[in-house]
Amino acid sequence: MKPDDVAKGRSAVGSEAGTAALHAAAVPGAVTRVARAGATLRPAAPFLIALIIWWGAWALLRPPDIILVPPNKVFSALLDLVRQGLLDAFIKVSLERLARGVLVGILIGVPVGWLLGLNEDVSRAAEPILRFFNAVSGIAWLPLMILWFGFSERTISAIIVYTMAFPVIFNTMLGVSTIPNRLPNACRTLGAGSLRIIKDVYVPGSFPSVMTGFRLGIGYGWRALIAGEFVVGGGGLGFLIFNARTQGNIAEVMGGMIVLGLLWLMIDRLILSSVEQNIIGRWGLMRT
Amino acid sequence: MTQANSNGSTIRASTVESEPPTIAIKSLNHVYFDYQSKKTVHALKDVELEIQPSELVTVVGPSGCGKTTLLNIIAGFIKPTEGQILVNGRPVNKPGKDRGVVFQELAILPWRTVYRNIAHGLEIQKVAKEEIERRVRRLTELTGLEGFENHYPHQLSGGMKQRVAVARTWAADPEIILMDEPFAAVDAMTRQTLQEELLSLTVRTGKTVFFITHSVEEAVFLGDRVIALSARPGRVKADITVPVSRANRSWREMSKNDALQECVEDVLELVRGEATASDRSGGAVSADRTHEA
Amino acid sequence: MTTLASTAHLPVGERIKRIVLPAVPFVLLLAVWGSAKFVFDIPRGILPDVISVFRVPFTLTDQYLAHTIASVQRLLLGFAVAAVSGLLVGLGAGLSRRFAEFIGPLSTFMNAISGIAWIPLAIAWFGIGTPMVVFIIWNSAFFLVLGNTILGVRLVPRVLEQGLFTLGASRFDVIRHVIFPGAMPHIVAGLRSGLGFGWRAVIAAELVGATVGLGQWIFIAQEFRRTDIIIAGAFTIGAIGLLTDRGILAPLERRTVERWGMAGRAT
Repeated sequence: MKPDDVAKGRSAVGSEAGTAALHAAAVPGAVTRVARAGATLRPAAPFLIALIIWWGAWALLRPPDIILVPPNKVFSALLDLVRQGLLDAFIKVSLERLARGVLVGILIGVPVGWLLGLNEDVSRAAEPILRFFNAVSGIAWLPLMILWFGFSERTISAIIVYTMAFPVIFNTMLGVSTIPNRLPNACRTLGAGSLRIIKDVYVPGSFPSVMTGFRLGIGYGWRALIAGEFVVGGGGLGFLIFNARTQGNIAEVMGGMIVLGLLWLMIDRLILSSVEQNIIGRWGLMRT
Repeated sequence: MTQANSNGSTIRASTVESEPPTIAIKSLNHVYFDYQSKKTVHALKDVELEIQPSELVTVVGPSGCGKTTLLNIIAGFIKPTEGQILVNGRPVNKPGKDRGVVFQELAILPWRTVYRNIAHGLEIQKVAKEEIERRVRRLTELTGLEGFENHYPHQLSGGMKQRVAVARTWAADPEIILMDEPFAAVDAMTRQTLQEELLSLTVRTGKTVFFITHSVEEAVFLGDRVIALSARPGRVKADITVPVSRANRSWREMSKNDALQECVEDVLELVRGEATASDRSGGAVSADRTHEA
Repeated sequence: MTTLASTAHLPVGERIKRIVLPAVPFVLLLAVWGSAKFVFDIPRGILPDVISVFRVPFTLTDQYLAHTIASVQRLLLGFAVAAVSGLLVGLGAGLSRRFAEFIGPLSTFMNAISGIAWIPLAIAWFGIGTPMVVFIIWNSAFFLVLGNTILGVRLVPRVLEQGLFTLGASRFDVIRHVIFPGAMPHIVAGLRSGLGFGWRAVIAAELVGATVGLGQWIFIAQEFRRTDIIIAGAFTIGAIGLLTDRGILAPLERRTVERWGMAGRAT
């Protein structure tokens, strides 16, 4: 017990010393503040340099407006879109389409993935055909979907769902099938039945992998959405940039692309990776 | 010290006839097809064994002798090719809560806290919440897990994780507990502590325990009886009764006690011959473990 | 011994299962498709005969080959440029922590604006045709190869490098014998996903910005309601995607990653 107390005492002293050091450093506050600002700004540096290169290339070559416009024109084009209320309308259309497709994709993908992961014979039967249709990208079905559903929302939904379903299926299957046999076996010796084992072992055990599938699937679905909006139209960011090109409005094309990129980063980072990290942080690294 | 003949029909078995043994293994044979080596493996041959109530029986044998297969058959994970297992006179054909298992590799659920892992079996049996709390508290005390109830397994050391596995199995209160080299993956110092803890736990709770190990010292230290299995196909080569009561054993005692040391030497002699035999036959050495995975 | 004999038949059943099981869904699909067409009398503009789809490569051989070859050529060209440029920049960036930190966020952002989103701008720059499509493939694959190469190089344990330096190796030796093979699992993973995204991008780019190529062919076929061409084209797209992945990159992965016993699977 004594060494314990000693250790505690020492660690307390250590932590006091630590805070003291912090205070000492904080006295010439301005310096650290500048350094901290520098650290947060650092990721912005490459973007600044890219902007300068972009602007420099434009100033040097002076290409016609239908090839390249300087950054300030892109910015004002975006401002115009915001002022007209078009940008948020288009964002809303695109996000709604994505959400609808993702929802249906998950509702199909997770149960199928489960079925495949739990039953080896079923997975061996189904895997080759799934691999094949996964290789036929969703975009390749656009022409047929147009014949079936016309230039409509349903066409766009269909290809998002199609694109989304495969990564969700494969990852769910992987998550379920890679749970070591000893976990369900151990539960069986505790008296658990099949339903109980599914609830207590397979659902939580496959969850991280299912989330990976969602994340990949939403990424693929996002690309399918853009392609679908090029062809089908009816609003949305894909439609915005494709339509702007036909009108020779490169400022709007580039502005739309930047919004697409930012939006995607937000979706990916904020929602999905935070969920993933929470789970993996709490349960420890489970994918071995 | 009673020594069995090579058929494995023990002398003890015939002396206790009043009630059926807790576990009776009858003319067990197991043959399976190994997909990795693409060979038919004869894992167990004519195994006969009886285990009495509250006995702790340890099984030693060279790697690949079918120890784990035997445990998996008793647990009901594998159906034997021939023969049967009787638990209290009733044949076993699937896993059940009368036979708890502690696995060699970690089999507690990483997404449950220590408390909820230990409570899992009780939750499944729909035990009342207060009762669960009471029993979990008792077992965390017995296994030295107090204060760690809200930790997740990945925050614990290997020894602590294995304590959780032991506590979970005991909490569910099965009549029989099957242990498959549970301490193989922890460091030597921790292992001795865990072994002593296990002894006192079994003495206090009176469970019937079937314990597999490849360490002769561990087998002798823990067991009422030590069963030596031969190299593949696994047969009961000897059935040795350890001469000192389990209740008064500790590692300090173990090194001083001549009877125990002699027992270790005897078993070592038996197993050593088998180990070299299995090496020479050159089979997949870890087959009994890969088979389970 | 009788028990031995009864288990010996197992591998044979296993062998039959291996052939029969994967075939079942394909047969089922064709059966449902064929009978649906027959029962509901679906017009050809919605769903073609099963047989007519498989006859397309034989009845329209010239067109079929011309479009297929055009697409594959673009894929190989664009992917080759992306692989080489991505590898070189990635190795460079991986070796210099500063450069990696500098280029990292930009590469993440550019990867987020995926290849497909560049199609309108690429049409403005290159017009309609092969250069535009090749640019889109490069754009789709480059950042994936780059990102994975940087990651792979960064994850090579320092100890291995130092070990070789103590043997008197030069910087170039270290790159060749330690960093490159050490980063290989990630590099191959990057190449694999780059090729997959590249192939999807080819189809999207051709759909709206080319005069030949499988994507364009199936898009035009839609205007003439030639569902047989659309499905034949889509199946060909799938087959080529599978062939390039399974035929080239999966074996490469197996030879490097698996043989060296490295688990670089998690992205």
